[in-house]
Amino acid sequence: MATARHRSSALRRNILLFATAILVLVVWAFPIIWAVIVSLKSEKEVLAYPPRVIFEPTFQNYLDAIFGGLSIAPSLVTSLIIATATTVLTIIIAVPAAYTFARLDLRGKKWLGFYTLATQMVPPVGLVIPYFLILNKIGWLDSYQGMITVYLTFSLPFAIWLMVSYMEDIPREMEEAALLDRANRFETLWYVILPQVRGGIAVTVIFIFLNAWNEFLFAVQLGGNTVRPVTVAMYNFISVEQTLWAKLSAAALVAMLPTIIIGIVAQKWIVKGLTVGAIKGGGRL
Amino acid sequence: MTDDKGRIQLRGIHKSFGDFEALKDVNLDIAAREFFALLGPSGSGKSTTLRVIAGLETPDSGTMTVDGIDITHAPPGERDVAMVFQNYALYPHMTLGENIGFPLKMGGVPKRDIPGLVRDAAKRLKIDQLLHRRPGQLSGGQQQRCALARAIVRKPRLFLLDEPLSNLDAQLRLDTRVELKNLHRSLDVTTIYVTHDQEEAMTIADRMAIFMDGEIVQVGTPQEVFDRPNTVKVAAFIGSPPMNLLPATLDGHRVTVTGSGYSFELPKAPDRTSGSVTIGIRPSHIHLAETGLSTQLFLTENLGETMLLNLRFGEKMIKLRLPDVRHFDDTEALHLAFDLDHVHLFNSQSGRRID
Amino acid sequence: MFSKERNFALLLVSPGLLVLLITTTFPLVYLVWSSFQTINLGMPFLNGFAGLENYRQMLGDADFWFSLKLTGIYTFSTVFLQLVFGLGLALLVTQIPSGQWVFRIVAILPIVLAPVVVGLFWRTIMLAPEFGILDFVVRALGFGAVNWLGAPIPALVSVIVIHTWQWTPFAFLVLLASLAALPPDVYEAAKIDRANAFQRFFYITLPLIRTAVVIVIIMRSMIALSAFAAIFAATRGGPGTATEILNLYAYKTSFIELNFGYGSALAVALLVITLFVSGVLFHMRNARRG
Repeated sequence: MATARHRSSALRRNILLFATAILVLVVWAFPIIWAVIVSLKSEKEVLAYPPRVIFEPTFQNYLDAIFGGLSIAPSLVTSLIIATATTVLTIIIAVPAAYTFARLDLRGKKWLGFYTLATQMVPPVGLVIPYFLILNKIGWLDSYQGMITVYLTFSLPFAIWLMVSYMEDIPREMEEAALLDRANRFETLWYVILPQVRGGIAVTVIFIFLNAWNEFLFAVQLGGNTVRPVTVAMYNFISVEQTLWAKLSAAALVAMLPTIIIGIVAQKWIVKGLTVGAIKGGGRL
Repeated sequence: MTDDKGRIQLRGIHKSFGDFEALKDVNLDIAAREFFALLGPSGSGKSTTLRVIAGLETPDSGTMTVDGIDITHAPPGERDVAMVFQNYALYPHMTLGENIGFPLKMGGVPKRDIPGLVRDAAKRLKIDQLLHRRPGQLSGGQQQRCALARAIVRKPRLFLLDEPLSNLDAQLRLDTRVELKNLHRSLDVTTIYVTHDQEEAMTIADRMAIFMDGEIVQVGTPQEVFDRPNTVKVAAFIGSPPMNLLPATLDGHRVTVTGSGYSFELPKAPDRTSGSVTIGIRPSHIHLAETGLSTQLFLTENLGETMLLNLRFGEKMIKLRLPDVRHFDDTEALHLAFDLDHVHLFNSQSGRRID
Repeated sequence: MFSKERNFALLLVSPGLLVLLITTTFPLVYLVWSSFQTINLGMPFLNGFAGLENYRQMLGDADFWFSLKLTGIYTFSTVFLQLVFGLGLALLVTQIPSGQWVFRIVAILPIVLAPVVVGLFWRTIMLAPEFGILDFVVRALGFGAVNWLGAPIPALVSVIVIHTWQWTPFAFLVLLASLAALPPDVYEAAKIDRANAFQRFFYITLPLIRTAVVIVIIMRSMIALSAFAAIFAATRGGPGTATEILNLYAYKTSFIELNFGYGSALAVALLVITLFVSGVLFHMRNARRG
């Protein structure tokens, strides 16, 4: 009797799980899948009512998005420059700074930690106003140096805070052993610490790059015709008269391609980064 | 092997961490090539002293000299000191070979000489077959050998060991103890060894310093410390099972155990003539007698060839080591007598030795 | 510490520290200073010191209070929904023996997309009248037409749904990892102690993942308070001001009405609120820990 009940409840369980699985996949994967479908339709096809699932796919939209009149190709380059420069500069500055914070006993270290955390809580709109006014005054609006500097301001605190927590996880004795082995602080950092926080650096790089690539508010307000990252370039396909859906979808997918690739390939790292951030509290994304 | 002898002197070392006084006026002389143990319970200051010697902590005051040269403020890398940490502190991302070779690399030894030196050190510790493995793939004992190899490869002037056996299982601990002693003999380097295990220190050290509450309370060979402990605390710490301590009164030669009718005469008259004292007597220096201290048997421990009797005396428990195995009724009343040559007397207030 | 060390430390940390201090403190100071000024790029003749005028105006501004209310509703509902859905999904997925990786990949995608793209997607291909797939499905199922982004209440609901859609996977992933880290022997002991699934959840699971839950709440609240791009892309704060949370109101005031002084004051208000909320939440978290 008990086994029959067990079996039926096990079956019920499996059905429930299966149903949930389908639901999750539909709700979260569907919009993206639909975007892909739309991007393969012609503009005329998009306006067909009721919307058709079976049709003749075309890659024209992708070609237009990259090579056409409203091409987002220059924006891709802009985004690449900005995101890469931000990431590289952030890491170069943040890693040594984080090592110093984590290891050497500076007075007021705790306050710096709090301060760094607090800076992440400033709402972006609170920063874009002064940045706009300041950059306007020094003529750095719509310039790469201006944009990258601004991007650094929200990437650096986050990177330092993340790296500090990774470095603090390394036992002090490791460095003491290195010191006794006649390594100076530079050599200790290079040979002993850095190889062990490789994972942490990878996570930080991913987050900084993703945040920089996806940034919108700063990009739209502080940029212009010269500096127009992909997030702003989306609006190429939207005007008062009409929205070019299929091209927009294609362009958006192309623009998001780097982030999607990073997401799928580095999925484990990202989750690790999210959970580390979760345990130690705070953080963007 | 350097020609330097490795003679250490510590004078007046003080070290505090915030409000906590870890070391209060530590003075120490360690002879060249000695195997010297720093022994004491947790928090007594022995590890801090070791770290001061290594240069990982700077004392608040006091000096340290090696072979006459003051190195109190020299950074760790310049002291020609090698250390084995309690948790080994091996570099997890390097192979054993790279771990052992690291100090040579940092010390500027020419690249082509390094593999040979690494292999020699590894062979000495019998891990030469494992040089390509990473620490994470090895057992605790093998990791420890790697830490040792990394320490000896530089042929340092001073060899520091911080509780190196505490992470090993019991059998491995006993075997490794012997190997360490062997290693010391073949290397002929001054070795300073920190431990809280008094049996360990007793078996391998040439001399030891006993730390209590940030101070050194006794320095001597194992035999000296065992035979003549300076204070009650040392007496209770050394020896296993530890010394029995009982309150008593002293009147000239005569000692009377408090709370009993048992009294005896000491062969030698101590300096103090009378008053309350604490007497100490080791379990192996007590025997059963017809009359004497009246106690009640509580528990027997059969050790195969000998026995340990736990006897209740008032609120206290007295341990007696019996050289053979006998049968006893459950809670027999037994009388004890002390070997008068081996009674220790301590001041009941200060705990210091009286004689 | 040896003096050589101190110099080395200062050398390493000064560029970072300098950049950090300048680029974060300076703009904040500038912002607060601006909030005490009248800065109107459209009517520059009005510019000058204004004292507390902006703040006085703010307190009497009905739009401000409405925006504040919207911010509260938005933040609370998105965080709540993310938590409920994220936790529920995590609990279910934990029980799936193999193939969890599929869920992880599906969950990663919404998170890595730019919020502006997400907003645009929902505005166009999902919710656009007649041609948006969701709108089509809803009509086809006979529920009638809903003006998703054009009527005040549906618009608010829509932006809440959009934000929740994008960020629930975050809560899901964090809680999934948290659940995976729970020790199995505690459950075995509970089963022997005859606890049923419900009891096991309440008395064992919940307390053990409490830290992760609190952190998720804190992090998502911060993001919800400063959400911008998705709402901007989907509704621009409209219709009217139906979805204009404080963030967007400050933006509109500054960059559309060009009233930077008042916009700064609004931004400062938002900053104060954010700090206050995070202070409260952190305090709650630390109180629980101790």
